[in-house]
Amino acid sequence: MLEVSALDAFYGDFHALFDVSFALNPGETLAVVGANGAGKSSLLGAICGLVTTRGEVRLNGKNLTNLSTPARAKAGIALSPEGRRMFTSLSVRENLLMGARVGRKGPWDLSSVGALFPILEEFADRPAGLLSGGQQQMVAIGRALMANPVVLLLDEVSLGLAPVIAEEVHAALAKLRGTSEMMTLIVEQDVRRALGGSDHYLCLLEGRDVMNGLSNAVDFDALSRAYFGESAA
Amino acid sequence: MIWVETLLNGLMLGGLYALFGLGLSLIFGVMKIANIAHGELAIGGAFLAFTVVGVVPVPLVILLPVIAVLMFGLGYALQSAMINRVLGDDPIPPLLLTFGLSILLQNLLVELYGANSRSLDPGSFGVAGIDLGGLSVGLLPLMTLLITITLFVALQWMLSRTSFGRTIRATSDDPEIVAMMGVDRRHIFALVMGLSALLAAVAGMLLATRTSITPFSGAERLLIAFEVIVIGGLGSIWASLLGGLVLGVVHAIGFRLDPASGLLYGHILLLIILLVRPEGLAGKRRTR
Repeated sequence: MLEVSALDAFYGDFHALFDVSFALNPGETLAVVGANGAGKSSLLGAICGLVTTRGEVRLNGKNLTNLSTPARAKAGIALSPEGRRMFTSLSVRENLLMGARVGRKGPWDLSSVGALFPILEEFADRPAGLLSGGQQQMVAIGRALMANPVVLLLDEVSLGLAPVIAEEVHAALAKLRGTSEMMTLIVEQDVRRALGGSDHYLCLLEGRDVMNGLSNAVDFDALSRAYFGESAA
Repeated sequence: MIWVETLLNGLMLGGLYALFGLGLSLIFGVMKIANIAHGELAIGGAFLAFTVVGVVPVPLVILLPVIAVLMFGLGYALQSAMINRVLGDDPIPPLLLTFGLSILLQNLLVELYGANSRSLDPGSFGVAGIDLGGLSVGLLPLMTLLITITLFVALQWMLSRTSFGRTIRATSDDPEIVAMMGVDRRHIFALVMGLSALLAAVAGMLLATRTSITPFSGAERLLIAFEVIVIGGLGSIWASLLGGLVLGVVHAIGFRLDPASGLLYGHILLLIILLVRPEGLAGKRRTR
């Protein structure tokens, strides 16, 4: 179980996230929605320890708050970052192997990631920097899975991808849902798609949780108002 | 025939230059900083060797690896205790720190050893040579070139084929995201600085077998190392090898034409490369 309580995040003097709390049970997916600059990536960064934080992050009872980023990764937090952040001088296979470097055991290895994204097996020896955006997104997700994470953080999954490629990536993510105990946080521009592929949602506005609930019971009108910061009618 | 010999001598000298450049290029490639103390690490390695042979007169084949390992430790310690603390978005603090370290190490060497010039006695094969179809080639420079090529091949193998090498390349590509792979980049940086110090020290010791050095020789070595990576280019270790060999050959030819020219022809080559091909002979053109 992932428990985030009263989490704040800072970039230097800039306060990016205010008092965000939520809990996620094994196997569940949380969609994080919000406008640009609402603090979605900051939330993921705060869970990874990539930004300065205040508040608490607990994973299966273990307090991660004072752990370094590498230590959190070893505890089972994996990130597919915004902008995909390929190791451009490494081949696709080498990128995936970097993901396995945390040394966690589990179902994910080169062959199971290859089965999820067959194109990665085909392009295994290509430099990752030469792949298309969609293929790089698959490498980024595959690389995170290679860590056999307890918590998978997916940032901006379909940003900049052609609709048909975004569809393909989401189809692969749909296969992951419900098949394991892994908890997933997904940040996605396409709100309907994000809600369709998640159990819970959390809407951020200017770094604050303005609305949350069950994805299958969402009131889209209310969510739209929360998303854009209009006061409830 | 004399030109063939000049070419051979240039290549053998160039091997040594390449080794000076390699360590500097490695640091720049991974940490994106220029280590101004690189020359002092090379010269310091040679002075450490003087001390060791002064106490226990061991042959060069044992001395080289022993000092290399010691200097690896020193490089690791310097990085973790000092340089890691100033690494950030601003390239100036590490530049100033390594500049300070360079002066500090130089003065430390003067304090400990005095300003006299010294050299490492390579033993009987220092003067031995072999005859290659009418050309006489010194065994010592030949051994220097062989050691250099072995180190280049070993480093290339390590970087491209091992998990440690893959982690070094990944850290160079994106030092923030490797943390999400459980990698502490400060540890990787320290290991890389250790490697760089090791390579510098081997080059410094090999230099001291062919010429005499003083505690002030570091600055000139740093200049050579910079010229090697500017001429060869950044981005691969073969570029350093090429840069070193080209610089060595140019120096040898310059010496043959005009014995009083010193390093002049090398500097002219550097200038031409900067004007005509600033990314270096084998460097990758920056696309970003």
